[in-house]
Order: sequence, then structure tokens, then C-alpha cells
Amino acid sequence: MFSKFEEWYRDRHDYARAWKEKSSGKVFGCFCSYVPEEILVAANILPVRVLGSHEPQDVTEPHLFGMFCPFCRDVLAQGLKGRYEYLDGITLAQSCIHLRQAYRSWEQHVDQPFSYYLPHPMSVQSPAAVPYLREELENYKKAVEEFTGSKITNDDLDRGIRILNENREAMHELYKHRIGPEPKLSGKEAMWVTVSSTWIDKEEHTAEIRRVLKLIEEREMDRECGAKLMFVGSENDDIEFINMVESVGATVVVDDHCTGTRYFWNSTADDMNDRIEAIAKRYVERPACPSKDHPVRTRFPHILKLAKDFDVQGVILIQQKFCDPHEADMVPLRKYLEENDIPCLFLEFDVTVPLGPFRIRVEAFLEMVGEEDLF
Amino acid sequence: MITAGVDVGAKTVKIVVLRDREVVATAKDLSGFDQAKVASELLAQALEKANVTQGDLAGICSTGAGRKIVSEATHSVTEVSAGAKGSLFINPDVRTVIDVGAEEGRAIRCTEKGKVEDFAVNEKCAAGSGAFTESMARALEVDVAELGKLSLGSDASVPMNAQCAVFAESEVVSLLHAETPKQDISKAIHDAIASRITSMARRIGLNKEVLVIGGVALNVGFIRSLNEAIEMDVIVADDPEFVNALGAALIAAERAN
Ligand code: SF4
Repeated sequence: MFSKFEEWYRDRHDYARAWKEKSSGKVFGCFCSYVPEEILVAANILPVRVLGSHEPQDVTEPHLFGMFCPFCRDVLAQGLKGRYEYLDGITLAQSCIHLRQAYRSWEQHVDQPFSYYLPHPMSVQSPAAVPYLREELENYKKAVEEFTGSKITNDDLDRGIRILNENREAMHELYKHRIGPEPKLSGKEAMWVTVSSTWIDKEEHTAEIRRVLKLIEEREMDRECGAKLMFVGSENDDIEFINMVESVGATVVVDDHCTGTRYFWNSTADDMNDRIEAIAKRYVERPACPSKDHPVRTRFPHILKLAKDFDVQGVILIQQKFCDPHEADMVPLRKYLEENDIPCLFLEFDVTVPLGPFRIRVEAFLEMVGEEDLF
Repeated sequence: MITAGVDVGAKTVKIVVLRDREVVATAKDLSGFDQAKVASELLAQALEKANVTQGDLAGICSTGAGRKIVSEATHSVTEVSAGAKGSLFINPDVRTVIDVGAEEGRAIRCTEKGKVEDFAVNEKCAAGSGAFTESMARALEVDVAELGKLSLGSDASVPMNAQCAVFAESEVVSLLHAETPKQDISKAIHDAIASRITSMARRIGLNKEVLVIGGVALNVGFIRSLNEAIEMDVIVADDPEFVNALGAALIAAERAN
């Protein structure tokens, strides 16, 4: 049922090349989930989120300090190895300095015709955040217009907003099938869907979700649900890991990752006169990345609500090694969840994860959260 | 009721046979390359010692890193659950278990019923495990069994940064070159492991009583350093290497009920 998404997840570069040929449009690499894709779609550009490939590599050492997170190193390695050679442009929306460094090195060492650093408010709770981002988005829109040579009209923006919102809506509908005693899809399948949505043409992606939604009600899972878990933390698109977790008696039913719910959870208002302001509001108000979540930590109640709504028995807290934004949240977040009777297991991720030792920890965690009859 | 617990560890296999919650036989051997064969043979030996056959058993529960390869097992649990179960059986007042084996160090916090509340495992490096003492003993050219006793002769506090087992070995070599007495180096080594294990245990919270299990619990030097580091007296299990197998055998009995 999810084989198309699996293929998209696996053959991401083939897809983008084929898209380019078919549409003769441009493809932009997005660093971070804060890049306003509405504007790119309005300009007929395919936004593709740049992610790593989970292979050990030896090319980033001259460019990134050892204590930068493995995700940003993996991202830069993809550029240096020429895996994204089809990109016409790249954009970084500012969130954390690790990824900014990867972006700056990429800009210097990988050839592409367009590169844009998009300043993005770090204090998203400030009343000045929306007007500030609005101005920056105007500048970004202008830069994109200059690059493509055509104006982005209000109609274009409406189309961009609609296409993005339709995909977000479809994602929400799909996620509803992860609620209840018998989720209709595994966490691995959901990961294929969500992560691939960050680089597949959104209309095509939405259509495939809609196709699946018609069939999913009737679906019988060929596996026991086991303990229902939630993943929370840094960037995570690691299929091997989620597969391992689900092979030892669990189903991952929801997440709070920038490659997961944070990416699609809220929509852009489609009834505002000022479209750019509507887009700015969407990115300011979306579930926050911890790098922007201050002074009030709005993430915590949001994560707790997700955990409750999806009725999870435990949370696996995932942190990319050296990821400071998430590191700063881990201790209080764990305390907060445990005070709310949600047990947590903390795991530190690298480019590849040690599946053997992690399996034992996950199994012990499952024994802890699940098997009351053991004791 | 007769049950057996089989603990397939990184270095050794341990077996405990229980009859009505009493230990009637134990057996231990090196895991070797063919862990499945060693486990089977050892199980046969243990049953023979206990004077029972496999057919008499109400259940066999396996645990440890290689627990999945035990084909005779009717149940299987992680060493975290087995450790907590076995420890509470030994001493019902235990709330924290420190388990230091050949390749892993663990801390487990449990309830009065032996339910695991939280646990921590040392991250990636061998610096908080038995393998570390072995490589250090090699660097000092002493028998690993002697290493612990040697450190009891020292009151010195030589700082050593055991973040990594390999780097620590080169630190030992530098200390030797600086003519630091072997007993002081030995103390430094045990302080370093104890400090690593303690910081891991502090992460989950240290509650009395603290029971130490696993092969490294037999190392008197480590236990002294651990008492100092956690600032309370730990209890060392009798036959500390067999506690996980014991816990597994107890779980097999509970499941058979
Ligand atoms: S938020 Fe964390 S995981 Fe993401 S790029 Fe920054 S440091 Fe890396």
C-alpha cells in the first residue's frame, strides 16, 4: 500500500531529476523545515528538503568542526559528493548554527546558480516576529522572481498556499489512522510518507495519500501493534532504526520531529489579503523548533497533547549528537513527560546508529512500559 | 516447580537452575564463538548437576546480549528486567542495581516489587566495563585478579580521564613512564571506572540499597572506589555473575504460574 512512498523515499534523486526533465522547472534545495515552500511552489519551483544518506563519510572534516551535529555533516557530505548536482538553487531558513555552517560550506564548495540565506526570527514569540518575517519573505520573493525572471502574482501565491495546505490536510487525515488500538499503518510506513513529502511534488504526493486513504479503512495489519510509542527530538529519517523498534514489539504512532509533524502540522491562512503575511504567520506560529522556542517552552504542552491524543505508552527521546537546540530541552522535557506519567528512553543518534546496543535498550524500555505481568 | 535461567553474556554464559525458588545448580563457561552450542551444553551440565531432565522444567528463560540464540528457551527477557528481578530476590531492600559486566555497565532503578522504573547503559565505549579492567591490567602487566587487590594498597588520588578505554591505556603508559607506583595507577584505574559508573547511576537517581552485580563486582578495588564515589556503602551480591541468570529463572517460574 505504501510502496510508492517507499520508492520516493529511496530514489529521491531520480525523482527530482525526472521531475525536472518532465516539467522543465527548477529545483531548490531547502535547508531546514522553515523554508517557505509556498513561495517556491508559487514560482513553479520544486522544493526538496536536503537530508543525509546515513553512510559514513570522510569529506566534511575540513569544513565543519568536530562538535557539529552528525545531521548537518551528513547534509554537507551529500553536497560535496555531488548527490544534489541537479539543484538550481539552495535556501537556508535560519534556525540553528550547525545547519547554517553546513549551508555556508555548501554555498562555497558546491556550484549552484542561486543561494539565499533567509533570516528567520529566533524569537518567534515576540510580537515583532510576523512583521519581521513578512519583510524578509518579501525580499526572498523578489530574489526568486529575479532569478526565474517572472513575477509571482497573488494568484500564484494562492496556488502555492492551496497546494501546501492540501498536502498538510491529507497528512492529518492519514495520521488519524494511527490513533486507536489498531493503527492502520506502521511508524515506518508513516516515515516514508512524511519524509518523502519534503521532496516530492506536493500535488502528486497528496494524490497518492488520497489513493491510500480510500483503501486504508479496510486494511488489516499483519503485525501486532504492541506498545504504542512516540518519537521526539532532532531531525530523524532513520528507517533502519524505526524498523528495529517496531520489530521488537512496538508501533510508533506519532512524532515531534522537523521531518515529521512539525513540518506539516499547521496550515497557512487562505483568506488573508496579504498573502505574504499569511505565510509569515504560518511559519512563526507552527510547532516550534527548540532553537526558537523561548522564553516560554511551548513545545512541551504541544508534545504532551500529541502523546495523549495518540495514546502513547512511552516516548523515545532522540537527539542528534551535539545538537544543542534539542540538548537544551532534553532534561526538562524528560522531567515534564515523566511527571505526566509518560516514561521516556533517551537515545543519542549519529549518522548511523548502533542497532545492536540500541535494540537491547529499546527492549528493556518496552519491558518497563508494557509488561506489567512480568512483575 | 523447576525452572532455569540462561544468561548469554558477551564473555561468559551463566546458568541457574531453581527448584521452588531455591538455587539447586549453577554453571558457567566462556561464550566462545558458538554461543548456541555452549549454552546448550552448559544447560545439559547444569541439569545433570541438579539431577533433573529438561522435561522436568516448567520453563527456561534466557537473558543477556545473546539471549535470542538459546533455542531451548520458552521465554526471553532483557538483562535489565532479569537483573532487577534477581537483585530483589537476593535483597528485597534493593532499589538501585549496578551491573558491571564484560562489555557493558548498567544502572537500574526499581520498585519494591522489582519493576524497572528507569535504567541507564554506558554509552558506546568500554571504559565503564570489565573489558576496561582487562586492558588496564595488560598495560600494567599484572593479572586481572590482582589488579583490584593492588589498588587497596594505595590512598593516592591520581586523576585519570577514562572517557575512552584506548586513550586511558596510553595514560597508564605515561603514568608508568613517570614512575608512578603501580598500586597508585591501579587505584586511579578503579576510581575512573567507578566515577563513570556513578555518573551514569546518578542520571537515574541513586536510592538505597545499592546492589552491585556482574563479574566486575568481584573486583575489590572497584568496590572500594565505588563506595567512595557514590558516598554510600554498596552491597555486593554473592555470586554476582549469576544474578541475571537467577532473575531469568525466577521470571520463568512466574510465567509458568
Ligand atoms: S537542530 Fe539539531 S539536528 Fe537539526 S541541524 Fe541543528 S543541531 Fe543538527
